[in-house]
Amino acid sequence: MKPENPFLAVLALAAGLLFLSPVLYSIWMSFQTADAYYTGNIEFTFHNYEMAIGQYNFARYLVNSVIVSGLVTLIGLAVATCAAFAFARYTFPGSNLLFGAVVATLMIPSHITLIPNYLTLAKAGLLDTYAGLVLPAVSNGFAAFFLRQYIRGIPRALDEAAYMDGASPLKVLWRVIIPLSKPAILSMGLYIFISEWNNYIWPLVAIGREDLYTLQIGLARLYRVNPGEDIIDWPLVMAASTITILPVLVGFILVERHLIRGMMMGAVK
Amino acid sequence: MSAITLKDIRKSYAGGPQILHGVSMDIQHGEFIVIVGPSGCGKSTLLRLLAGLDPCEQGELLIDGKRANDLPPQDRDIGMIFQNYALYPHMTVLENIAFGLELRKVPKVERLKRARSVAETLQLTSYLDRKPGALSGGQRQRVAMGRAMARDCSTFLMDEPLSNLDNALRVAMRTEIKDLHRQLGATIIYVTHDQTEALSLADRVAVMKDGHLQQFDTPDMIYDQPVNRFVAGFLGSPAMNFVPADCIDDWGGERNIDVGFRPEALSLNRSPVSGPSITARVVLTEMTGATFIVHCESEAGRLSAVVARGEELPHEGDTIWLSLDPSQALCFDAISGVRLDLPVMHHSQMPKTHVKETA
Repeated sequence: MKPENPFLAVLALAAGLLFLSPVLYSIWMSFQTADAYYTGNIEFTFHNYEMAIGQYNFARYLVNSVIVSGLVTLIGLAVATCAAFAFARYTFPGSNLLFGAVVATLMIPSHITLIPNYLTLAKAGLLDTYAGLVLPAVSNGFAAFFLRQYIRGIPRALDEAAYMDGASPLKVLWRVIIPLSKPAILSMGLYIFISEWNNYIWPLVAIGREDLYTLQIGLARLYRVNPGEDIIDWPLVMAASTITILPVLVGFILVERHLIRGMMMGAVK
Repeated sequence: MSAITLKDIRKSYAGGPQILHGVSMDIQHGEFIVIVGPSGCGKSTLLRLLAGLDPCEQGELLIDGKRANDLPPQDRDIGMIFQNYALYPHMTVLENIAFGLELRKVPKVERLKRARSVAETLQLTSYLDRKPGALSGGQRQRVAMGRAMARDCSTFLMDEPLSNLDNALRVAMRTEIKDLHRQLGATIIYVTHDQTEALSLADRVAVMKDGHLQQFDTPDMIYDQPVNRFVAGFLGSPAMNFVPADCIDDWGGERNIDVGFRPEALSLNRSPVSGPSITARVVLTEMTGATFIVHCESEAGRLSAVVARGEELPHEGDTIWLSLDPSQALCFDAISGVRLDLPVMHHSQMPKTHVKETA
């Protein structure tokens, strides 16, 4: 694609670099030694990464984050897709009211549900478990709303054709609706994954065991690794931050390739 | 035993008007039935009830003699071809055709074999790996037919399957559908608003209006013996002319009626003629290919007549006398529109007194 106006191209490049500069700077910093950083010298090292992964257990946090975010994304998408299909295609007594209730959950700040969720999980004995991290996040009103709107855009004639071909409602969902909603489901999956990956408050509240810490909790702990010392080891923090953002970045690049448009082309005239 | 029987089928959607007002039909195995009518007459609704896509709450629907009101679509042994094709855009042509067999758990080898054989019949073999987005309108239409055919159903429902095609393709596909019906021997119920399709394809035509079945008969009977003015006017192109009997000079029959005659039953004269005729002024002539249509304005309103090519054409603005053969005229009640079986006689056959009275 050739930009029509070279000035716009330069402007876009400058804006891109501006947005990218903090990330690039933090990656650059993560490869410096603390001494070099504070004295203004340049000294390339992998030491910060070795420290983060080895001494500060970031490999474990990374695995925890992948497990929790992955499960929340998978289960959340499954729940939201089924709900969206039901809301998009079926009218039953109270369906509008129920959908209204789902949409209303978007208006409740998550912090308000923090204590009730905590008490519920405490009673269920699920604090300090993966389930305690995953379960409260799997019902996602926004995902159900977003996917329902998308499914409504898929011609109903496709469902009907599948019913005529002998499909059950679940088969219609699995073989027709989900493949055709792939761009929306992947976008929503990415959104849920990133939201959960960045979630700080809930893991902080629900998890006390160090071996269940997620990356965000681990990252916050790096600020107070040396109590009594005023100096924060910024290159170490930046190395941990890079470990934290890298999987999300890779995930985004992988999913973006699949967010293809034009899935509906040729379905109906 | 009939393939499909409809008994007093009624349908209305919640909060909406009644769409079907007691439709009854008896469809035999292997018949090609065309349901025809203007937009909103309920023909597509009737098809959806037959397919099981909409619930049939009032009346009785029998398939092969068994009550099927509550039978889900997948258990009806019915294939459907949708107006907009409804092909699965994420599947190839082969997968689209084989999908119904896959859902019915036909082994892979068998279903691919059957899908390929159907594709061959429909000349789709070179497109098997393409997705619907890469096909032309005619090819998509064929895939839609193939998808229904692969399942080897006893009945096919077709909802205006040719309406999205251009004219040349529509004529070609019409012939193919007729051929396929002969090959398959299946019952076909075909919905259209195109009367040419209706008359050329059907063994029997069901004409609908405002949710009422007007007439269910062979194309010949529908064309020659329409039960009412609506059916007479709806089928035939150009449409039948209707004239109050009073406006026909030398009309020998009942006066308080409307007379209907097809444009091809009129002959054009340059001077007054004896026998039933109407004086008119030529407004427009239109060439249709083999014939011309002459549109005229008369005391009774707009009339059209068909003139073969080669015959002398009147000019616009000319006064002409349209004579009509009473044996080809149909009489309709002026108020209800119902066709009346009245003897229509030439004035020479009328008793003297009557002629005097009406002259």
